[in-house]
Amino acid sequence: MSKEFPLREERIGFYICHCGINIAFKVRCHEVAEYIGTLPGVVISRDYLFMCSDPGQEIIEKDIRELNLTRVVVASCSPRMHEHTFRAACARAGLNPFRSFHHVCVREHVSWVTLDEDEATEKAKTLARAGVNRVRYQSDLFPKSFPVNPNTLVVGGGIAGMQAALDVAKAGYKVYLVERQATIGGHMLQYDKTFPTMDCAACIGTPKMVAVGQNPNIEILSLSEVEEISGFVGNFEVKVKRYARYVNAAKCTGCGECTKYCPISVPNEWDVGTQLRRAVYRPFPQAVPITFAIDKKDRGPCVQTCPAGTNVQGYVTLVREGKYKEAVKVILENLPLPGVLGRVCPAPCEKVCRRGEVDQPVSIRNLKRFAADHVDWETLEVPEIEKKPPEEKVAIVGSGPAGLSCAYFLARKGYHPTVFEAMSEIGGMLRAGIPDYRLPPEVLKREVNYMCRMGVEIKTNAPIGEGNTIDKLFSEGYKAVFLSTGAHKEFMLGVEGENAEGVLRGISFLRNVNFCVDGAIGNKAVVIGGGAVAMDVARVARRKGASDVHVYCLEKREEMPAWAEEIEATEAEGIKIHNSWGVKKIVTNGSKVAGIEFKRCVAVFDENKRFSPKYDDSESISDNCDTVLVAIGQRPDVSCINGTDGIELTRRGLISADPVTLQTGKPGVFAGGELYSGPSLVIEAIASGKEAAISIDRYIRGEDLIENRPQRPKGENWAPIPEGVQKAARAKMPELEPAQRVGSFVEVGTGFTEEQARTEAARCLSCGVCCECKQCVPACEAKAIEHDQIDKVVTLQVGSIIVATGFDVMDPTPMKEYGYGRLPNVLLNLEFERLSNATGPTSGKILLRDPNDKYQHTRPPKSVAFLHCIGSRDKNYHEYCSRTCCMYALKLAHLVKDKCGHDTEVYNFYIDMRCFGKGYEEFYRRIQDEGVRMIRGKAVEVTDKAEDPSEEGMLIVRAEDTLIGKMLRVPVEMVVLCTAMEPRPDAQEVARVFGLTLSGDGFFMEEHPKLEPVSTPTAGVFLAGACQGPKDIPDSVAQAKAAASEAQALSTLGEVIVPPMISHIDEDTCIGCQVCIGLCVYSAIEFDEFRKISVVNEAVCKGCGSCAAYCPSGAASIRHFTRKQIFGEIEGILAS
Amino acid sequence: MNDTFEPTIVAFLCNWCTFTAADLAGTSRLSYPQNVKIVRMMCSGMVDPVYVLKAFLEGADGVYVGGCWPGDCHYINGNLKARRRAALLTEILKQFGIEEDRFWLRWVAASDGIMFQEHSKEMTEKLRALGPSPLSVDRTIA
Repeated sequence: MSKEFPLREERIGFYICHCGINIAFKVRCHEVAEYIGTLPGVVISRDYLFMCSDPGQEIIEKDIRELNLTRVVVASCSPRMHEHTFRAACARAGLNPFRSFHHVCVREHVSWVTLDEDEATEKAKTLARAGVNRVRYQSDLFPKSFPVNPNTLVVGGGIAGMQAALDVAKAGYKVYLVERQATIGGHMLQYDKTFPTMDCAACIGTPKMVAVGQNPNIEILSLSEVEEISGFVGNFEVKVKRYARYVNAAKCTGCGECTKYCPISVPNEWDVGTQLRRAVYRPFPQAVPITFAIDKKDRGPCVQTCPAGTNVQGYVTLVREGKYKEAVKVILENLPLPGVLGRVCPAPCEKVCRRGEVDQPVSIRNLKRFAADHVDWETLEVPEIEKKPPEEKVAIVGSGPAGLSCAYFLARKGYHPTVFEAMSEIGGMLRAGIPDYRLPPEVLKREVNYMCRMGVEIKTNAPIGEGNTIDKLFSEGYKAVFLSTGAHKEFMLGVEGENAEGVLRGISFLRNVNFCVDGAIGNKAVVIGGGAVAMDVARVARRKGASDVHVYCLEKREEMPAWAEEIEATEAEGIKIHNSWGVKKIVTNGSKVAGIEFKRCVAVFDENKRFSPKYDDSESISDNCDTVLVAIGQRPDVSCINGTDGIELTRRGLISADPVTLQTGKPGVFAGGELYSGPSLVIEAIASGKEAAISIDRYIRGEDLIENRPQRPKGENWAPIPEGVQKAARAKMPELEPAQRVGSFVEVGTGFTEEQARTEAARCLSCGVCCECKQCVPACEAKAIEHDQIDKVVTLQVGSIIVATGFDVMDPTPMKEYGYGRLPNVLLNLEFERLSNATGPTSGKILLRDPNDKYQHTRPPKSVAFLHCIGSRDKNYHEYCSRTCCMYALKLAHLVKDKCGHDTEVYNFYIDMRCFGKGYEEFYRRIQDEGVRMIRGKAVEVTDKAEDPSEEGMLIVRAEDTLIGKMLRVPVEMVVLCTAMEPRPDAQEVARVFGLTLSGDGFFMEEHPKLEPVSTPTAGVFLAGACQGPKDIPDSVAQAKAAASEAQALSTLGEVIVPPMISHIDEDTCIGCQVCIGLCVYSAIEFDEFRKISVVNEAVCKGCGSCAAYCPSGAASIRHFTRKQIFGEIEGILAS
Repeated sequence: MNDTFEPTIVAFLCNWCTFTAADLAGTSRLSYPQNVKIVRMMCSGMVDPVYVLKAFLEGADGVYVGGCWPGDCHYINGNLKARRRAALLTEILKQFGIEEDRFWLRWVAASDGIMFQEHSKEMTEKLRALGPSPLSVDRTIA
C-alpha cells in the first residue's frame, strides 16, 4: 500500500477497543481495524478487548517503540473517560501526548446509540477515519503548571459544609465558610432526633458548630453570599457579599436584652414560622456565631415616598406600643412640626401603603397627629447638640415650613440659624393661609417654641429686600442665606368688574381672618376656584357669617385639586360646589358686586396636560351675590432678592437654583419652598428646607455640595404580606358635627382616641421588618448595635471551592388535596421537627395547633398520620425518590409514641418502604413492633368533611390500601406531610456563579455519577451534601469528607497543571485589528503597541476560542483545535 | 439498495454541554440515526463559520452546532457569540442556496441526553425530506 502523505512521513497506529462487548456487540471491530489499516500513513491497526487495561496500554507503548509510531488513534469510549489514560501511555513511550494522540468515541456515540450493526460499523469507520485524518495535524503542546493557593472556600454551613470545613482545617489549611443565614448548622440542627440511632440532632450537631466556630483555621462569614468567582483551579478570586448584621460581633455578648425592647415580631424562619421572633434576633439559642442580627429589609414604601424621609414605620410602631414620646422623637429625626404635618400633610405615604393591598392604607397622618398631641412639648427633651462656635450663623428668610425646616435641621447640626419673618406672626402660609379649624395656631406655636429651645432664633416684622438686603446679611456675618418667602401673591381673574367693592382675594381674606384683622363678608358669597385654598376660603366665609356660599370651579368634580375629604367636609357644611364653570364677568351695581356670570368650561387642560381652559360660550348661567372670593392660585413674591445681584429668576418667575443642592447663582445663597418650586405641598417645602440644610452645612464646612450626598432609600425587598392577615377597616377620625362647626373656628377633627390610635397603628404590616425605632440601642449595655452598618463586599483568594448549599423542603401548599395551610393540623415535616425540638415553639412537646391561633398549641394528639412521598416519586412534582422520608417518617412515628404515649394511634401511608442503610431495616422492624400501623398506599386526600359521627372534627386521610385493594378513610387528629427534598430555588443562579451544571432533577451535577461524585465540570470546584441530590446525614458527611480530601489534595500538591489548549495569535499574520480584545471575556489579550499586534496572556486565557472563531486574518487559533486539525476531521468524516 | 436518501450531518458539540449530553444519550442507550457525526469543540463560540462552510463544501447535508443554554456557558458568553455568528451565517448560506433547515444551532444542557437524541432524529428526518445539499449533489450522483 502506498505511503504518500500530504505532510512529512507520519507513522500512525490505530486501536479499536471492544470494551468487552459494549462496543463489539454493534461494531464489527475487526472490520474497522482492517479498513483503517488501508488508510495512508497507518502502519498498524489493531482491535483489542480492553484497550484501557494495562495490557492494552502496553500494546500501544510497545508499538510506539518497535514500529516507531509518531501518532496514535484509539477508538473506544468517550474521551471524557480515557483520553488521559492513553495520553499517558503515549507519553511513557516518549511521544508528546498532545501531538501524538487522538481519541475517537465509538461507544457512547456509536455502539450504544445505533441500532443496526452495519450502520454502527460504518459510523465507527467514518469517525475513526476522521480521527486518523485529524491526528496528523496535531502539534507538540506543553501544559503549564501554576502554584495552588492553599486556602479553601466552603459555601454553605450545614452539616456537609461544616464537616468539609473541619476536615480541611484539620489538615492545617485555612477555610472560609460562607453561610447565608445568621447561623451555621443548616437543616440538621432544625431536626429533633436523627434516625436510626435516635441521637439528638442538637447533641451531635452543636459540637460540630462549636468546633467550627472555635477552629482557628476556619473563618465563618455568616449572613453572606458568594457573588462572583474569577480565576481558575488553584487560584480563584471570590467576591463575597457580607450583608450588614447591624450588630457588632466583637461587642455583642449574646445576652438578648435587645429582644425585650424590639417592637417588631415576624415568623422565625428557623422554626419554619411556627413561632415568632423579634426583628433583632438569633435563630436559636445555640447559634454560631452567637451574635444577634437585625432583620432589616428595604425601607417601607411610606418611608421611601415621604419627601422628608420620615421614618413612618418607626413612629407608627411606637404608637402601637403606646410609646408616644419615643414616637415623636423618631419623627423629629427627619421632620419638624409633627403636630402641624399631622393635620395638613396630604400624606403621599398613605397612597403607597401596602396595607392598601389587604384592605385600606394605614391612617398615617392621623397617627402622627395623635403622637404629637400626646407629648408635653414644654418638657420634651431637646436632643443633645454639639453647638458650633457663635459665628457659624445662618440667615433664613421667611418662616414658612421650608424656612422653619431649614432652621430646625441647621440647629440640630449645631449652627445658629436666625429666621427673618416679614409678617407679624410666625409660620408663613401655615399661619396665614390655613384656617384655625384645620390647624389651631397653638399647635404651630408649641412646635415652633420647641425649635426655639433647640437654638432657632426668629425675628418677626423683619422683611428682607430693598434696604435690608441679602448682601447686608452677609456683611453682618451670616455664613449662608436660605430664601423661603413662599408664594403669597395671588392671581386674578382678569375679567370685567373684578375691581368692584366686594371682590376679595382668597389668601388675603384668609390672612385677615387668621390675624384677626378684618374678614367682614356679605351674606351671599361666591368662591372661585377648585383647590384647597378655595375650600378653605368657602368654609371660612361660612364661619364669618355668609349664609349662602357657592363654589364655582373650572374642573370637573374628579379633576379638582382639593382632596376628596376636604370637598366632602365643605359640602357637609352646606356649601354648594358647581363644577365646569368659568367666570365670564362680575356684574356690578354701581361700585358694588351684584352678581356673577359664568360660561361652560369644556376642558381645563390641553393634550399636554397643561392648564389651558376651553369654553363653550353658548352655555352660561348667572348668580346673584354680594361677595366674590377669588382663590385661583398663588405666585411667589421675590422681593427678598431686591438690591442683591447674582440671583436669577426662572421663566415662571421663581428663584432659579440647583435642583439637588438648592444653591442659587450666588454662592452661599440657597432657595427652597414655594419660592423655588412654585405652589406645592407643605411636606415638599419641609423636604426642601431639609435638603438646603444639608447643602448649607456642607457649604460652611467647605465640602463639595453633591459628592456622597445622602441617598434616598430605595428597593422593594419588603417583608411579604403575612398570610391570613385579618381585614380591618381604617380608623375614622371623630369630627365635630357640621352644625357645631359652622359657627366657630374650633378644630373640626378631634383626633383619634388612644384605643383607636393603637389599633390603627397595629394595622401596619412592618414592610421593612426592623422599623429603626432604635429602642434596642440604649437597651444594649455592650453598645453593640450599629444601625448604620452597610452591606460590604470582601474579596477572598482561595485554591479550591466546596459547594455545600443544601436543599429545600418542598412547600406542599400547591397540593390542595392535602389541605396544607387550610387545615391547621396538617403539618410540614419540618414544622413537626420544630414542634418536637426542645428549642421549638412548644419546648419539645408534640401538641395540636390551636385552630384560632397558629402560634398557640393545645393538647397532645390521640392519632397522627404520616403521609410519605408527598411530591417525591410523583410525575407532577419530582420523579425522584427523596431517599430520607421513609426513615424520618419512622423516626417521627417513634417520637409520637414516645412523647404522646403508646396508646396514640400512628399511621404511615407509604408506597414502598426504602430502608437501605446501615441499621435502617432493623429500625423499621423496631418501629413496627412499637405498634405503628403501616398502610401500603399513597394518601390521596386529607379532608375535614365528616361522613359519619366518628369522623366529626377529625382529619380524614383517604388512601387505597393496595395490599387488600380497598379504599380507606382513616380519621386522625394530626397529619404530617413528608414532602420532597428539592433543589434550592436559586440553584440555577448559584450554578452560574460556580460554573456548575444542573442535572435533570435540578440538583447540581457531579462530573461522573459513579466515579467522580464530588468533582464538577469546573476544576477545583467540588460538591458536598444534598445540593448534589437528596441525601441523609451519613451520606452528606461522607461526601463532605470526600470533597475535603479533594481540596486537600490540591493544597498539598501545591501546583496545578492547566491544559495547554489555549489561544495563540500568530504574530506574522496578526493585522492588529484588536477585535479579539473586545471579544475576550477574560481580558486575556493585550495589544502590543510597539509591534502593533495582539498578544495572548497565557496565564489568563481559558481557551474558549471566541477570538479564533472571529479573527479575520486567521492569526488567532486555539491550540489543539486549529483550523487544520478541524478541517482534517471534517474531511475525514465526509471522505467517501 | 435502499432508496431513501441518508443525509450526513456534522455536529460540532460544546464539550461542556451537548457533547456531555451526547455521552449521556449513549450511557442511557438512547438510540438515534447514525447520520449524525460528532466533532468535539470546547465551546460553541469556538465554531468558526469557516468550519461550517468547510463541512458543506466537503459534502455535508446538514451542520449542527450544540451549545450551552444562555447564561450557562462555561466561558461566560461564548454561546451568545455563537448565536450572533450563526444568525449571520444562516443568511450567507442562503445566498449559496443552502436552506435554513440545514444549519442548526441548538442549546442542550449537559444533563439532557434526551434532547440531543430528539434533535438528531428531528434533523435527520428534516434533511431526509429535504434531500441532498445543493453542494453535495454531484457526489451523491457519482
